Amino acid sequence: MTVLAYSENSDLATETFTASRELANQLDCEALSIQLDELDKSIQVNGKVAVLKSERHLSGNPDLIVTALSNLVPKLNASVILIGATRLGRQVASQIAVRMRVSALSEVRSLKVEDAKLTGVRAVYGGRFTAKVSSGIPCVATIPTGTYQKNEGSPTSVEIISLDRMSEKVVHIETRPKIKGSTDIKTALIIISAGRGFKKKEDLLMLEKLAKRLDGAVGCSRPLSSDLGWMGEENHIGLTGAYVHPDLYVAVGISGQLQHIAGIRDSKIIVAINKDKQAPIFQIADYGIVGDLYEIIPALLKYLA
Amino acid sequence: MKIIVCVKHAIDESELKADSSGKPELQDARTKMSSFDRNAVEEAIRIKETKGATVTILSLGTDEAKKSIKEALAMGADEGLLIQCNPAELDTLGTSYYLSQAIQRKPVDLVLCSEGSSDTYTGQVGPMIAEWIGYPFIGYARKIEIRENDVRCEQAYEDRVDVSEAKLPVVISVVNEINEPRYATLIQMLQASKKPIEDFRLESLKGSDAPHTQVSVIDVNVQAVNRKRIIFDGEINEAAKKLADALRNERVIKS
Repeated sequence: MTVLAYSENSDLATETFTASRELANQLDCEALSIQLDELDKSIQVNGKVAVLKSERHLSGNPDLIVTALSNLVPKLNASVILIGATRLGRQVASQIAVRMRVSALSEVRSLKVEDAKLTGVRAVYGGRFTAKVSSGIPCVATIPTGTYQKNEGSPTSVEIISLDRMSEKVVHIETRPKIKGSTDIKTALIIISAGRGFKKKEDLLMLEKLAKRLDGAVGCSRPLSSDLGWMGEENHIGLTGAYVHPDLYVAVGISGQLQHIAGIRDSKIIVAINKDKQAPIFQIADYGIVGDLYEIIPALLKYLA
Repeated sequence: MKIIVCVKHAIDESELKADSSGKPELQDARTKMSSFDRNAVEEAIRIKETKGATVTILSLGTDEAKKSIKEALAMGADEGLLIQCNPAELDTLGTSYYLSQAIQRKPVDLVLCSEGSSDTYTGQVGPMIAEWIGYPFIGYARKIEIRENDVRCEQAYEDRVDVSEAKLPVVISVVNEINEPRYATLIQMLQASKKPIEDFRLESLKGSDAPHTQVSVIDVNVQAVNRKRIIFDGEINEAAKKLADALRNERVIKS
């Protein structure tokens, strides 16, 4: 028996491997980190690695990844397949589940084996509630970012697995990169986030200045990254974006929709700055200032030397 | 062309309350069409308006789910299909199985769904439907271009946009930035009540390959909120100074 771990995101790949090791210990079997095409040295994995190779480039091609991983399941007698809960990961996990006729858990943390079932905890109803869910084994599960520690070290063994020729139904035409932010929100100790309260894109410079002063990263709520495109999707914090857990989270001009709050609950200290006293963000904040962010940020810059 | 949009009649998560023991009050909870599904319905209607299409709304649930179907019909869809069952008894594997069985009874060119439901957000049902039927799946589309025999989409991933093509029929999930869903007028809502909604019995869709329910929800609890909720009001400079001092005391910023 094996527990497989895969993510196309290298940080999430090591976190997912940590989860797979914990489960493998409970199931008394081995954990295996799956990588595609070639060994990625940036993925820290202190354990066994299998690199899947085919005539075709597998990375980024969901159809081929589904086929490759599904082929591996009987070959390695995989009991649990853990996949990083990126957008691609969610798709791939769902398709593998149907192809292998096994059940699937979505975005679960605190995974455990209890009574020969896999249990985990996930956020539901906009993150206001948590559900403990269970599934029979074998199964597939996706792991959200930032819920497991990174695995550190280098591979103890690397096996190359060659796969037969595969074909896909969806043809990839091109990839357009999105603009990258400078600091990674998943590892930042301080995050300053912007919401709809900002009137125009240029005003985000104020936010960046504050982030820089505190040596923090910049984040945003979903409207800013998806609807307005003022920030990259990698800055998006919330239910459909990243889950973060900094020491200090400052929400500036964010009203605090449930979807956003879902992503920031694990922050140590939450600060809210909003002009609307009734904004739900104040309900989950440790400290707050009610007022115009355009006045408050300059004042804060003055006192946060 | 023929389009089926999968719609979930969901718990309205913004109105959901916890009882004294921290459990969600699901019995009296308000329900609504899952927020992101409105984008899938809107996209289907836009395709209908520009290219011509019949739009069928497919849902799974009790008669209650007809509220969401009717709302989509009022937005401009043509007909509804409801698989009658207790949705709580199915996991995503089962839900996607029965939806795919219903879809296969109606020849279709395009199946649209959203990236995930607003209440439980597993994001699994769309890709699972595609896999059950053997259709191509394009996820997280932010732009859909329907052509003669195929479709070209822009897919919004975290760090990139992929442009992909697939032959029809295809299953596509959309992200909410793809469009701004319309609201139905009162007249449209009245007219929608005349549009047909067909019922399917779950049993009638059950084939020999129907999966057993394997995922179960053991317990649901409200997330505890233990925050200080200290608001500094009054003069802005004074408030900012107090906040800076508080953060230093918490040792979350350098003093």
